[in-house]
Amino acid sequence: MTGYLFLALIVFSVASFMFGRSLARRKAAAQGVRAHSLPAFSGWFVAIWSFIPAAVVLLVLVIFGARLENAIVQSDVPAAVQQLPELNQGLFFQDVRAIANGGTPSTTVYDGELKAAFDHKVAQARSVDSTINLGAYVLTAVLALAGGLLAYTRISPQFRARNSVERWVSVFLVACSVVAILTTLGIILSLLWESLRFFQSVSPLDFLFGTHWSPQIAMRADQVGSSGGFGAVPLFIGTFLIMLIAMCVAAPVGLFSAIYLSEYATPFMRAWIKPVLEILAGVPTVVYGFFAALVVGPSFREFFNWLGAFMPGTPMGEYLMNVQNQMALVAGVVMGIMLIPFVSSLSDDIINSVPQSLRDGSLAMGATRSETIKKVVLPAALPGISGAMLLAVSRAIGETMIVTMAAGLQAKTTLNPLDTVTTVTVQIVTLLTGDQEFDSPKTLAAFGLGLTLFIVTLALNLIAQRIVQKYQEQYD
Amino acid sequence: MKLYTRPLYAPDTSIGKPRDPSMTTTATTPKFVARDVKVHYGDKQALHGIDIDILDKSVTAFIGPSGCGKSTFLRCLNRMNDTIPSARVDGTILLDGEDLNDRKVDPVVLRARVGMVFQKPNPFPKTIYENVAYGPKIHGLATSKEEMDHIVESSLKKASLWNEVSDRLHQQGTGLSGGQQQRLVIARAIAVGPEVILMDEPCSALDPIATAKIEELIDELRQQFCIVIVTHSMAQAARVSQKTAFFHLGNLVEVGNTEDIFTNPKDQRTQDYITGRFG
Repeated sequence: MTGYLFLALIVFSVASFMFGRSLARRKAAAQGVRAHSLPAFSGWFVAIWSFIPAAVVLLVLVIFGARLENAIVQSDVPAAVQQLPELNQGLFFQDVRAIANGGTPSTTVYDGELKAAFDHKVAQARSVDSTINLGAYVLTAVLALAGGLLAYTRISPQFRARNSVERWVSVFLVACSVVAILTTLGIILSLLWESLRFFQSVSPLDFLFGTHWSPQIAMRADQVGSSGGFGAVPLFIGTFLIMLIAMCVAAPVGLFSAIYLSEYATPFMRAWIKPVLEILAGVPTVVYGFFAALVVGPSFREFFNWLGAFMPGTPMGEYLMNVQNQMALVAGVVMGIMLIPFVSSLSDDIINSVPQSLRDGSLAMGATRSETIKKVVLPAALPGISGAMLLAVSRAIGETMIVTMAAGLQAKTTLNPLDTVTTVTVQIVTLLTGDQEFDSPKTLAAFGLGLTLFIVTLALNLIAQRIVQKYQEQYD
Repeated sequence: MKLYTRPLYAPDTSIGKPRDPSMTTTATTPKFVARDVKVHYGDKQALHGIDIDILDKSVTAFIGPSGCGKSTFLRCLNRMNDTIPSARVDGTILLDGEDLNDRKVDPVVLRARVGMVFQKPNPFPKTIYENVAYGPKIHGLATSKEEMDHIVESSLKKASLWNEVSDRLHQQGTGLSGGQQQRLVIARAIAVGPEVILMDEPCSALDPIATAKIEELIDELRQQFCIVIVTHSMAQAARVSQKTAFFHLGNLVEVGNTEDIFTNPKDQRTQDYITGRFG
């Protein structure tokens, strides 16, 4: 119903825009003067005052209306219900809400005194609901009319509608940016809060420096493997290993292709290569993920098995023959390919911002192009390029899909690229997918990992941005 | 006339040593001989056939309104137009009798012989010492640290910068003042041992005092080098040059002794330009 109400409000605002505009015109014509603001601004002024106060109230009622209703309905608990255990009390009120608002109730059967209390509460909920709705209609209508009328009476050729509308525009823009800031704050706070709950059951030292990761919690005391281990070091090492492999691929390939693009490529080649790199950047990571799991993984395994066949009997050969699909190398290489366009386009921008006059100066002394790049352009661009690399590292650490599909789930403390490792992001995914209760350390561990990840990537991004900024200031 | 004073494809080893007397040229020998030089940038023709002789051991000034092609022609003299993909250069330019647009000529070696100084001082973001040592290093002109020190010192002295920077050779070159930076760039060009120094409006970013110092320096350098300078300031052309060439709309209108150009121009367009009627 509020949807229709909102629609009606919009129609009303459009109408008040028309009225405001025509009134401004008529008044200016009647007085034979040129108005301070164009008539459309007067129209906007009236429309804004009819719309915004009413819309704000409507929004508040939509957000808090249901809670208000619950609070009123639950404010007095019938005696029969009070005798129920607390859990069942909650269920009782859930069913009341479901019946009153047309949802699906639970299968609990209420009879006798409970039945009476139930019917009573349903009726109360319905009446409260309709009262709130009626209140919403009336309040919205009154606010829209009052706001519109008040604004309407102020319109005159001397009224500075243009300035007033300008103020509203800035209020609107501020509101939009506040939404972004509040959302970020909310995410950080919830991350902190849930992490605190996690660290109440697992000590932060054990978490950060422990080497045993097996996030299971026993249902019964006598269960096998019941002791949960929350030492995240294997995850950090796995993340680091994959990031390192990814950067070994992405850094040289990305940087050299950027050098080619910015220093050597003819406009024709550039016009072809740039869009292709952008396509690579546009491939969804999940596609990279199954590419890694289904194509790269098996072919790497076959290659190593084939290599191992040359060394029969040796431990090395034996090991290579038994290499599995899921290994750090596969995830790292594919992630590196994913990062190539990222590194290359950032480095390209940075290399291009080295002034042409430096290149000319070097070329004019008889340096070749590669000498110029090696000795003048790259040293000048180095701070910016290292910033770009840090940004790529922070993306590699936060990347989820590829590692989830190609790296494996076993938490091992190893730097062997042919072994299966797991990363922080993979563990967050496995901890939270499926049906989970949100009060065991197992699920809360995800927030601990998330917080760690957040802090590391935030720090990396801040440092990188600072470096890049410093660098760009140097040549402004 | 000797055709090859120095082959364009051999490294220069004469840094710091007196020149071979047989190579000595006077201010009447043409260093450059240009005939029918045309330049296109894409479809746009920037130069319509330039014929000019540029003398050694003297300063030649190119003047003319913006966009007249004087910088374009200057960039032909050390093939800097090669770095612009859309540029096409036709015609012949002989450097000591050798066509520098010949396919056998390596532009890298040519540019070591024909140095260039740009409008905006462009020291590399390195120390003063490294800036000057840059060219000798890439051309392998010094075999020891002492030799390199010597090249750096003599180049800075020739550029009249030594006294100001001798105690801070290992500070950043970008930290110098604009005029000092421009002299550092000149020292950097001298260090490679060029025969010609091209200057593209070298004083347009400098204040009058720094400008005066550079002009003084140009006058000293002409004892040793062939200098070609592009300038917007007619007063500067009159002060520093012996020969002046006036460019207009991609044509070389008039060239002659600086005195004659400024006191008794033959062409009406030159007359109009130097009296300030256009440009």
